[in-house]
Amino acid sequence: MIYTILFPIVFPIAAGLLLLVMKEPENRKILTGITGAALLITGCAVGYALFHVKDQEILLFQLTATLPVYFRPDSLGLLFVSVVTIVWILAGFFSFSYMEPHEGKREAGEKRFYGFYLIVFGVLVALDFAGNLITFYMFYELMTLLSMPLVIHTKSREAIMAGLKYLFYSFCGAYMVLFGLYFLYRYGNTLTFTPGGVLDQSMIAGKEGLLLIVSFLMILGFSVKAGMFPLHAWLPTAHPVAPAPASAVLSSIIVKGGVLGMIRVIFYMFGADFIRGTWVQLAWMILALITVFMGSMLAYRENVLKKRLAYSTVSQLSYILFGLALLNPIAMQGALLHVVFHAFIKCTLFLTAGAMIHKTGKTKVGELRGIGKKMPVTMWCYTFASLALIGIPPASGFISKWYLAEGALDSGIRVFSWLGPVVLLISALLTAGYLLPLTMKGFFPGEEYAAPQAALKSDVQAKLQADLQAGTQTGVKAGPGRRKLLPEREASLLMLVPLVILTALAVVLGMFPNPLTEYVAAIAAQLL
Amino acid sequence: MESTQMQFVQNFPCFSIMLCMFAGIVSSVLKGRGARRLNTVVLGLNIVMSAAVLLFTVSKGEFYVYVMGRFSAPWGNELRAGVLEAGMALFFCIIMLLSLLGGRHKLLQEVEAGKQNLYYVLTDLLLSSLLALIYTNDLFTAYVFVEINTISACGLIMIRQNGRTIEAAVRYMIMSLLGSGLFLVGICMLYDLTGHLLMSNIKTEVAYIMANGTYQVPLLVTIAIMSVGLAIKSALFPFHAWLPDAYGYSTVSSAAILSSLVSKGYIFLLFKIIYRVIGFEVFHDSKIINVLFVFGLMGMVFGSLSAIKENDIRRMIAFSSVAQIGYIYMGIGFGTQVGMVASVFHVLSHAATKSLLFIAAIGLTDVSGGSRKFIELTGAGYRNKFAGAAFTVGALSMVGVPTFSGFISKLLFAQAAVQNQGKMLPALLVLGVSTILNAIYFMKTVIRIYTPVEHTEYPAAGWRQGRIYAATLVCFMILNVILGVFSQPIVDLIEMGLNMFA
Repeated sequence: MIYTILFPIVFPIAAGLLLLVMKEPENRKILTGITGAALLITGCAVGYALFHVKDQEILLFQLTATLPVYFRPDSLGLLFVSVVTIVWILAGFFSFSYMEPHEGKREAGEKRFYGFYLIVFGVLVALDFAGNLITFYMFYELMTLLSMPLVIHTKSREAIMAGLKYLFYSFCGAYMVLFGLYFLYRYGNTLTFTPGGVLDQSMIAGKEGLLLIVSFLMILGFSVKAGMFPLHAWLPTAHPVAPAPASAVLSSIIVKGGVLGMIRVIFYMFGADFIRGTWVQLAWMILALITVFMGSMLAYRENVLKKRLAYSTVSQLSYILFGLALLNPIAMQGALLHVVFHAFIKCTLFLTAGAMIHKTGKTKVGELRGIGKKMPVTMWCYTFASLALIGIPPASGFISKWYLAEGALDSGIRVFSWLGPVVLLISALLTAGYLLPLTMKGFFPGEEYAAPQAALKSDVQAKLQADLQAGTQTGVKAGPGRRKLLPEREASLLMLVPLVILTALAVVLGMFPNPLTEYVAAIAAQLL
Repeated sequence: MESTQMQFVQNFPCFSIMLCMFAGIVSSVLKGRGARRLNTVVLGLNIVMSAAVLLFTVSKGEFYVYVMGRFSAPWGNELRAGVLEAGMALFFCIIMLLSLLGGRHKLLQEVEAGKQNLYYVLTDLLLSSLLALIYTNDLFTAYVFVEINTISACGLIMIRQNGRTIEAAVRYMIMSLLGSGLFLVGICMLYDLTGHLLMSNIKTEVAYIMANGTYQVPLLVTIAIMSVGLAIKSALFPFHAWLPDAYGYSTVSSAAILSSLVSKGYIFLLFKIIYRVIGFEVFHDSKIINVLFVFGLMGMVFGSLSAIKENDIRRMIAFSSVAQIGYIYMGIGFGTQVGMVASVFHVLSHAATKSLLFIAAIGLTDVSGGSRKFIELTGAGYRNKFAGAAFTVGALSMVGVPTFSGFISKLLFAQAAVQNQGKMLPALLVLGVSTILNAIYFMKTVIRIYTPVEHTEYPAAGWRQGRIYAATLVCFMILNVILGVFSQPIVDLIEMGLNMFA
């Protein structure tokens, strides 16, 4: 039993360390081969663990006499870990193609990227399996630290500054959490995750005010990762500078670490009843709603595609947080569903963006006119994922938003029971507003695009392509006048397969949501 | 101690002190290389002997007293060895060995060839005084070795001869003598009050005085004077003015030894005075403890603020020491056993981390043309990979990232804080603020050394001449992780040792 839990944690970390210390192999296939095999083996191990480890506990070691570091996968952890595994493996395979050599020149730091990618995988599994707050905190910090090399992969000045910002925000957030942890240790019976909370009622009598402040600090601390206003600023800076597979997992998985943290702290440590009806719940809802609106607005105004998607993450994550803040079983169900759906959708969106940028070297939405003609499969994936995120039935986003809205209406909290759904609706409109233009311009570039293309002779086009590749390689942004046309290339098969699978998941889960809905309903019922 | 046959192992504390003394004397006629080898051998022997004493005391489960010469108490001189003493001696010897190994190549460059052996004379003396401070059961002996410690520390600062170090040494000398002067006054007053110099005898007398209710004020003054004296010597805020120059400009081994051992020796002496001279209860009931607590908190914040403003990596690390010493005094200030355990653990953790940082920093400055300014250090982590990795580990430990020793310290301090009603809120708040401040300046440095530069005129560090250096750094990193992950046995030992103290 112990190995079933430990293997999916230790194995990818060991494989990642091996990659980091080994010499750069001559043949790139060895590198991708090892990484791919490690990803698949870990995937199988997690898959096996899903059915065998529920509510089993294993003690890793005693940190101090009363603080054990131990794992105890519960239904919530297993839900998160399955999402992590699916996304991580698919994005990993995508990265093999994304990192392939340009004109014989290998991508710098490719080995390091895979190494850390695998290590973070192991850490994430550990994070989801963590059985108490101290274990969770340890792996949460490790997740921040070890995902840092993914952010600063290109080592450009911009990337490093973004990484710095990421680290500062994350550490500040983590220390707010640590601060709260000290109090929980004092006023709780245990730090083990217990549905309904661990606070010792006799001990907290008269100290409620203090503990409410502490709980709010912990929410704020985790909200750094989850990108909630006012501590969201690192997210739109750090996510876009990373290479596409990294931004995809950052935006779809790493940020969910913050969400998981909030669930663990509020529902398993303080207990939902402790903050129900207090200013903490109110403030949490207000901040989440502000973020939903603000994120969408900023995404709408943003012209750089990856930044636009990052702002969209900010907005969408606060859907989840709003659902949690309502402290209502149906809203909670919606929030958990949105965790799953958003992970698949946002991963798809970032990967498609990555594929487009990889092939064309263009980063702005306006420059990608006509892309649908050249990369139809990629563009269709983008379109389906967008529709799912907007929440058009039968795609998945509709289901989660439905539950969120219903939960808000049911909650009976004055003002918010109607304000919530309204804000969600406006934001959904904005989502359509910032995602769909690319689809429209991509498939229907208009007259002035088609004309010059027909006039061009094939040799001119070949020259343009060579030009373009050189440009992509050195990172030169495409000037408006130099290259009007996009290359005639669909993304490689290694990119397309993960994309199609993810898109299929995002859509199909919306059509057959029942098993998943029942699963999260059980979790919500246990917590509220 | 039972009066049965004494075991050979029980001689080891005395042996190790004497061995260091004689090694120092012999080194004065040796050449540099010979003195260095002798020093390494002595340190190795000391490690073995301290480990033996540690095992002995742990297996026995009690301390023992070693009578020097033929005079028994209350006239003779005594050593006393328990788990904490032996463990501390072992740890100090390991850190000193690593610090000397790591700074060896720098020492060859920075100290004149004719004076190399002097350096080892001084370190031998310093080690003997540290061991004596750890083991002695006699307050006046403690004072004598405090002075030896001060003198040899001054020598260690000054041996790299340039204007800054001489100024630093003079400053250190003045502040330090002020501290030992106060300490001496304290001993005199205590002698006056109790009529004893042996720690255990004083303690019984102090308990008697307290029970009688006489001489309360003189006793309080004595405690205050002794605490302040040792606080000055261990650079508690606001008595830290001598520290940045002394740590910042001396040769790197000296900086590492001074920051991680010398100041900790005085803190350890303070622990002994609290437990074995004054008595924990008496000390706790005096108001001094609150003063130490407040100074500790202030040190945590102001030390870090000074470090943030600093543009010189060595001085930045030095200022961070002020903050860390503040942590230790905060732990003492809780006035609980748990707080003391946290403080002792932080002594270990800080000693292991700070010497690592100093040694790693020198590797980084060496590949940056010897400049210590941050702008020059850009990308240094790539030019000397070991130093970069080691500095990162040290920085993460200081910031308190899990799996490194600093995290356990913070956790222990927090556990101590939450058990103390009155001091909980300020302690936790300052702990939080100071952690974030730490993160600011250490992460800034780590990012700086890993920021890539397009063109650099500085060559990367050669692998061949840096082998010992790299090995040292690896040992330091392992030590740090051991403290961070397998902390529970160590904490158990500390608790056992503190119980033997009382």
